[in-house]
Amino acid sequence: MDVELIEIRDFIATHHPFDLLPAVVLSDVAGKLEARYARQGKRMIAIGDHVEHLYIVRTGAVETHDPSGQLLARKGEGETFGVDALLHGGEAKNRVDVLEDSLIYALPGAEFHDLRKTYKQFAYFFEPAGGNRLRSGLREANNRSAGHLNLMSMHLGDMLRRAPLTIGPDTTIQDTARTMRTENVSCLLVVDDGGTLTGIVTDRDMRSRVVAEALPYTAPVSTVMTADPLRLSADDYLFDAMLLMSRNAIHHLPVLRDGVLAGVITSTDLVQTQSTSSIHLVRDIYKRDTAEGMRDALELVPDLTLQLVDSGASAHNIGHVISTLSDAATVRLMALAEQRLGPPPIPFVWLAAGSQARHEQTARSDQDNCLLLDDSYDPEKHGEYFQAFTKTVCDGLNICGYVYCPGEVMAMTERWRQPLKTWKQYFNKWIDQPDPKALMHASVFFDMRPVFGNHSLFHDLRASVLKKTKGSRIFLAYMASNALSRQPPLGFFRNLVLVRGGEHNQTLDLKHRGIVPIVDLARVYALDAGAEVVNTLDRLDTARDMGSVSKDGAADLRDAWDFISTMRLKHQALRIRANKKADNYISPDELSNFEKSNLKDAFSVVKTMQGALATAYQTGRL
Amino acid sequence: MLRHLIGTDMARKILWLRCRPGPLKDYYAVDYPTLDTPWSAVEFLAIDLETTGLNPEQDEIISIGYAPVRRGAVVFSESGHHLARPTRPVPEESAVIHGLLDRHLQAAPPLETVLPRVLRAMTGRVPVAHFADVERGFLDAACRRLLGHPLLVPYVDTLRIEKRVLERRQDAITRGALRLNAARERYNLPRYKAHDARLDAIGAGELFLAQVAHMDTKKPPRLEEVITG
Repeated sequence: MDVELIEIRDFIATHHPFDLLPAVVLSDVAGKLEARYARQGKRMIAIGDHVEHLYIVRTGAVETHDPSGQLLARKGEGETFGVDALLHGGEAKNRVDVLEDSLIYALPGAEFHDLRKTYKQFAYFFEPAGGNRLRSGLREANNRSAGHLNLMSMHLGDMLRRAPLTIGPDTTIQDTARTMRTENVSCLLVVDDGGTLTGIVTDRDMRSRVVAEALPYTAPVSTVMTADPLRLSADDYLFDAMLLMSRNAIHHLPVLRDGVLAGVITSTDLVQTQSTSSIHLVRDIYKRDTAEGMRDALELVPDLTLQLVDSGASAHNIGHVISTLSDAATVRLMALAEQRLGPPPIPFVWLAAGSQARHEQTARSDQDNCLLLDDSYDPEKHGEYFQAFTKTVCDGLNICGYVYCPGEVMAMTERWRQPLKTWKQYFNKWIDQPDPKALMHASVFFDMRPVFGNHSLFHDLRASVLKKTKGSRIFLAYMASNALSRQPPLGFFRNLVLVRGGEHNQTLDLKHRGIVPIVDLARVYALDAGAEVVNTLDRLDTARDMGSVSKDGAADLRDAWDFISTMRLKHQALRIRANKKADNYISPDELSNFEKSNLKDAFSVVKTMQGALATAYQTGRL
Repeated sequence: MLRHLIGTDMARKILWLRCRPGPLKDYYAVDYPTLDTPWSAVEFLAIDLETTGLNPEQDEIISIGYAPVRRGAVVFSESGHHLARPTRPVPEESAVIHGLLDRHLQAAPPLETVLPRVLRAMTGRVPVAHFADVERGFLDAACRRLLGHPLLVPYVDTLRIEKRVLERRQDAITRGALRLNAARERYNLPRYKAHDARLDAIGAGELFLAQVAHMDTKKPPRLEEVITG
């Protein structure tokens, strides 16, 4: 072509995922388009039509419905449609109608498929499930923050420091232990004569399978090893290792290069790649003797968050780290209180509520906690002790920066410092009479986690509550309806709806409109499944396994949570770096087109799942 | 005038007989569809010229852009753009409009080289232009001068269609309201900023699609309903 269609090229170049294509390719793509015009109300694609093009909205808007009439998506300027059909042999499964007079560019299907084959990042965008797309987007976004040691960009192969230490399956347990001692390692790999990996044996196996079981030391190691262990390839990322380890609660992973054993990655290796400051910080907190001292130690939390974000840690991990620090402060304050007031007269357990309980704290936030006492509690005899005890701890937390809960959800509030039988009554009442106040309390107290004390008290309470909620359709329907009260900020045309006016004018509220809706959804699924876990991602996993949410739905929500949370953390890190207070309000100007597109995907997922929940529980009838 | 006596179809046949073998004879050898054909079965060629002035007898074509319109789509992949070297320097006042200066055009082939390519693109297709008098006048004059016979073909003029629409709605036609971009805006079409012949041709083609989509006919309009003369 003698002169390029510069304006057409420039248009597609500013829209995702075309922005991922090289400039020369973009010119070529522009030259292969066709322009069509569709008037408002026209059916662009009918179900069963043969679709031969990828469509890009130049001006106007269209919407897609599935055969049952449910709205799937609205597409505006720069967005594509027809993809599903193109990826499934060309037959349209959904219909597309024109919402506004539209000029639509059409790229021949063959060109689309060529681009997908040649440009992987471009292909990722069009992967069938929005979730997949988001997942690749996340990976891509993380890879872009170059210059830092990065879980998403470092290969396991680069981490291996020494050749793998192996033993044969017939080695005795005693010889195995001796080798571990001489080599100073916490695990050994078991290989057969051909050098093929058949098992792994760790320190922990020695404790729990040998000593605890009183096995003879002459028995072969094959009797205590973990046979056919999980493994990864040298090309896999550090991130994959971290995921696999945390999902399976293991600390050692054999790594193979081209099918040959190349070494072992341990959780210690992973921790060392990140900053070790979180561990130092925990130790530091335990050394302090006053709340003021702890406050000084905790001042490092914003810096730590910054470091973790930079090193590519996931939002999930960061939430765990920050919440663990809050736990540490709480536990230390209780130890100090005991020193002053003497040992507690009856068993109790201190429970964290809200985001600390869910392991989802980002920065130090308000304190949410309560106290669960043994049923031998006698206010006359024990009331004074526990009042003083909880007051000391809550005051201490306030000094540390976990300010008093405005709703008084704190152990120092008498109502939330009660014996087991009273707590059971509370829950029974909330579940049987789900008025708005009850639902509010339920949302707070269904996210509970024991921090210190007699855990069995808590397990007793939890078991009785879950037994009652599981299958209680009416209560769950109210919880579902409550979960729909906050909607993602997506407008009619799939545009982002910004906060108007006030201090946060023209921003997106990532917490209340992005993260909270997902947390609320996960809580309903988990209660329906009778799941004990409280962390949002854990809840989604468990609920998926129990069948209270679809597999795809759970995966998509997981990614949406991860994406929005990561975006929020990065935003907060930027604010901290600029010496501003971390908040949840992000301006669209801070986002690249790429991030905006992913954020819209994430919000769409939430919206879709809220719609599904509304249908499942018929919340419209309440 | 020949075609007023015997009709355009017959006049084209006579011109085909009279032409010596060459690009114009080849052009006339292929007929475009009859006037009762539904518009979507007709192939169109959106076309735009840039000239050194407005008088076809004196001024010269310096740039020709075009893009086929087929089955309701403007096909970019078959679009074309040719510059033609004028015999005289480009007057400053027209250079301001299209941004083509003498040095751009020095390397271009003369119009006699470009014209046959344009005729090939026009073959069997009904031309579409915004304010088609320019294209009609200049292409006809060029064919007479360089190939010995007139270029006789009915045009779709998107400006005239637009004028008809506005008159029917009894809107007052303000100054500039019929310009390509002003007309496009009424159909929610994007504003193309560049002023080059190919993009203007594509722009006219898209406007044509929009105008047809908004014609409130029960059946898809026939060719004679979109042709303006």
